[in-house]
Order: sequence, then C-alpha cells, then structure tokens
Amino acid sequence: MIREYLARLAGELDFDPALSRAVGREVEDHLLEAVENDPAADRQEAERRAVASFGEARALAAQFAVVSLAAQARRVGLVAVLLIAAVFIAMRARIAWYGVAPFPLADGARALAETMLAVDRGAFWLAALAGLAGWIYIDTRRPPGGFTRASSVQLRRFSLLCSAAAAALAVCIAADGVLTSLRLIGAQWSAAALVPLLSMAIEIACAGVLVSYLRAMARRAAVTARFVPAA
Amino acid sequence: MEGEMLKGHLDMIVLAALAPGPAHGYAVIDEIKRRSAGAFDLPEGTIYPVLHRLEHSGLLAGRWVTADSGRRRRVYELTRRGERALAERRAVWERFSDAIGSLFGERRRGRRPA
Repeated sequence: MIREYLARLAGELDFDPALSRAVGREVEDHLLEAVENDPAADRQEAERRAVASFGEARALAAQFAVVSLAAQARRVGLVAVLLIAAVFIAMRARIAWYGVAPFPLADGARALAETMLAVDRGAFWLAALAGLAGWIYIDTRRPPGGFTRASSVQLRRFSLLCSAAAAALAVCIAADGVLTSLRLIGAQWSAAALVPLLSMAIEIACAGVLVSYLRAMARRAAVTARFVPAA
Repeated sequence: MEGEMLKGHLDMIVLAALAPGPAHGYAVIDEIKRRSAGAFDLPEGTIYPVLHRLEHSGLLAGRWVTADSGRRRRVYELTRRGERALAERRAVWERFSDAIGSLFGERRRGRRPA
C-alpha cells in the first residue's frame, strides 16, 4: 500500500524530478516509521492507517507545486541579475579589447554606430533596472502557502519585470551585434577578431539562458495552476 | 481546531515544534500532536510542504542523515533567522491572544445579568 501511495505521489510530482525523488524518500521514511509505531499487529492495516493519516497524494503534490514554483521564481530572479551582469562584463571586455586591438569604424558607419550605441546603453540600463527590480521584488515577498489570487498576482508582476528585462537585454544584444559587425566588416581578418566574436557569443548565450529560465517558470506556473482545485 | 485557522498558523506551529532541537518530519508531527494534546488534527503530509517552504525561506536548514534503522531521513533545524522569526511571531501571537482574551472577557462581563 505504501509503494502504491509513493508511486501515485511520484506521478503527481513528475513536473520536478529532483523534488519528486527527495519528497519520495522523505515520505517513505515517514510512512515506514508510522507503520513501525502502529500498535496494530496487521502490517496491511498499519500501512492503510499510515497512508490515510498522511493525506491525499494530489493535495500534497499541489502544496509542493506552490513551494517549488516560489523557489523557482526566486532562482529566476537571481539568475536574471547574474546574466545581466555577465552581459555587462562581456561588453566591457570587448570595449577594453578594442583598446588593445583596434577595429576602427569606417567614416560612413559613425552615424549608425552612435545611434546603436545610444540604443545599446538605454536598453542595457532598462534591462538592469527591470532585472534588479524583479529580483528584489520576488526576494522580499513571503513565499505563498498556496496558489492564491495574491500569489498569482505576485508571480505575474515578477514575470512582467523579468520579461521586460529579457526584452531589453535582447535589444541591447542586437545593438551590440550591429556595433560589432560595423567594426569587423571590412577589417582584415585576424585572431584578434575572435575576442569580440566570443564576447558576442557569450551575450547571446546569456539571453538564451534567461529566456529558457523564463519559459521553464511559465511551464511550472501552468502545472501549479492545474492543481488549484486540490490546493 | 478549524482547518483554515490552523493552516494560517502552520509556519509558526512548525517553527515552535523545532525550537527544542533538530527533528525529522515524523518527529515534528509527533511533537505538534503531543504539545497540542491532539488539538491540531491535519493530514500528516501537510507538514512536509511547510518544512520545504521554510527551508527555502532560510528559516530552517535541512540535511540528510542515516537513522538507526538504516533509512535515510531529512532532519530540519531552526536557523538564526528562524529563531528570530519564531520569537517575533510568538510576540505578535501573544499580543493578539491577549487582545482577543480581553475582548471575550469584556463581552462576558457585559452579558452578565443585572
């Protein structure tokens, strides 16, 4: 009976395999201890009582889904700030590299470069502010005890801030891409060009990771919402 | 006790149950039942999401240990933040409880026949 219950619980928690394994081990220990402490001579009856006292697997999974979503949102907040910082470092490294190995802009490209630079700076600071605001917002909220209207609003606000940060970061990286292209196009090919290219690759990877985290959080929110009647 | 009322105070109840020292989930539930003289009657599994949430909040620290039975079990203990949070919630609760107690006391006196 305990095995059946654990299998049911694992099925309900399949949205988070690591959580499912950890909770499964913890619950198994609890149920076995409950059976050991049950005065009933019949093992089957003791197992039935232990499972009945523990509560419905779906209701338990619903509560864990809320905890898991809150933890994931906090993780996303921190990751967003770290990725934006990584993009900043990549940008600064590229600019510093241009001091060592100059890739001068063609005269005809200066006007476009100035516009792109303004877009780049504006978008970056918008991304940094939105990311930081999102992180502070989610980190200072008390983790919800259930998937309530208040927690749903909280998550929506956080998602909005993170999405704004991701969108601004994408614009910033696109502007960086244009600026880098303006410097590299027409320049003599050399190994020195690998540094700007590598820094661009890092920036693009950071944006990709941020988007994948946001999508994973949205998927987790959808899973949690499915549990609502049981929560 | 009413389920909804109890759910609203679960964090405080779990923190209080862990105040004497580290314990695993089963022992936490046992402690709650013992100290409340069975007044808190919730499905036992309810306590585990609370333990995980409090751990994510930094109020509890959890670690896996091997029990005498040879089984792996997760033991939780209050962190410094958890101790502070419990002290704050206890103070708030005592003020609230005193206020409600006074209110009911006043009411009883008010209803006394002349």
